[in-house]
Amino acid sequence: MTVIPPMEPWTVQQVDPQRMKTMAALLRDPYPIHWDPESVRDDLHRGRTVNQGPLNLAYIANMLMAWAGDGSIRRLTARFHGHVVAGDIVTASGSVDEVIVLEGETRARCSVRLLRGDEVMVSGTAEVALERPADPSSLPPFPEESA
Amino acid sequence: MTASATPAPTDEEIAALVGHRFAGGERKVEHWENWLLTDCTQRPPMSGGLLHPVVLFHVPIQAASTSIGEIFSICGGGAAGSVTLLGYEWDFLAPLIEDVVYRGDGGIVDANRCRDSSGVILHDDICFVIELLDPTDRTVARVTTRWRFLR
Repeated sequence: MTVIPPMEPWTVQQVDPQRMKTMAALLRDPYPIHWDPESVRDDLHRGRTVNQGPLNLAYIANMLMAWAGDGSIRRLTARFHGHVVAGDIVTASGSVDEVIVLEGETRARCSVRLLRGDEVMVSGTAEVALERPADPSSLPPFPEESA
Repeated sequence: MTASATPAPTDEEIAALVGHRFAGGERKVEHWENWLLTDCTQRPPMSGGLLHPVVLFHVPIQAASTSIGEIFSICGGGAAGSVTLLGYEWDFLAPLIEDVVYRGDGGIVDANRCRDSSGVILHDDICFVIELLDPTDRTVARVTTRWRFLR
C-alpha cells in the first residue's frame, strides 16, 4: 500500500514584474502586457503587468515537485480564469483524487489550482509519479496509458 | 479585455487554419536557460539536469520553428488585451534533460469561431498541438495549447 504524504500549499509572496521581463525575453513573447506597464493602464490592471500563464502553471508544478520530487510530473492540464498581476500573492494547492498503478509506476491523479485569496486563477489536473528511480538521466520512457 | 482593432479574419480564413503545419526544427535548452526559467518560477534550480516543466510552453513552439508572434499573426491577433490563454495540456512522456536536442513537430488542429445571437463575431478559439521528439525519434512530450482571439 502506498503511503501518500500530504500535499502542502506553495505560496508566492509577491509576483515579481522583473521576473516577468526575464520570462518574456526567454519566451520571445512580444506581448507587452507582460513587460510594459504603459500597456496595462486600464482600470483593471492600473499599470500592473500581467504574469505569464506558464508562470502561473509553473507555481502549480513547483508545488507538485515539492511534494513528489523533481521529474515526477507526467501530465498537467490547466484552465486560466483571470490575470495574475505584479504584486499579487498566489498559492498553489492540490488534492489527490485517485491513485493508480501504470506498468509498475504508482501515480496520483490530482486536482490542482492556483488561488489569489479565494479567487481561482488557474484550475486543472495533474498526474504525478509517486515512486521513481533516483537518476533521471537513466530513466526509460514513462509508461503511457493506452488509449 | 479589449478586442483587437484589426479586422477579424474571414470565416474561410479561420477554417483554413486547421491543418496548418509549423515548419519543424530543433531546440535544446542549455543549463543557463533552464536556470533562469526556473528562477522565474521562484524555486531553486532543478536537480539532475532535468528541465523545469515550464519549458513545455515555449520550447515546443520554438522547436517547431514558429513563435508566439507568428502564431498571433497567423491567427490574426496580437494587440494588447486581444488574446487570452484558455488552457494547456502537457504530457511528459520521458524525462526532459538539459543540452539534449529535441525535434519539434506540430500544427493547428482546431479553430472555432463564436458569434453572438445577432451574428457579430465575438472570438476565435484556436488549438495547436506540438510533439517533442528526442534524438532517437521517441516522442518525449506533447503539448496542446488553446488560445482565444477576441474580435
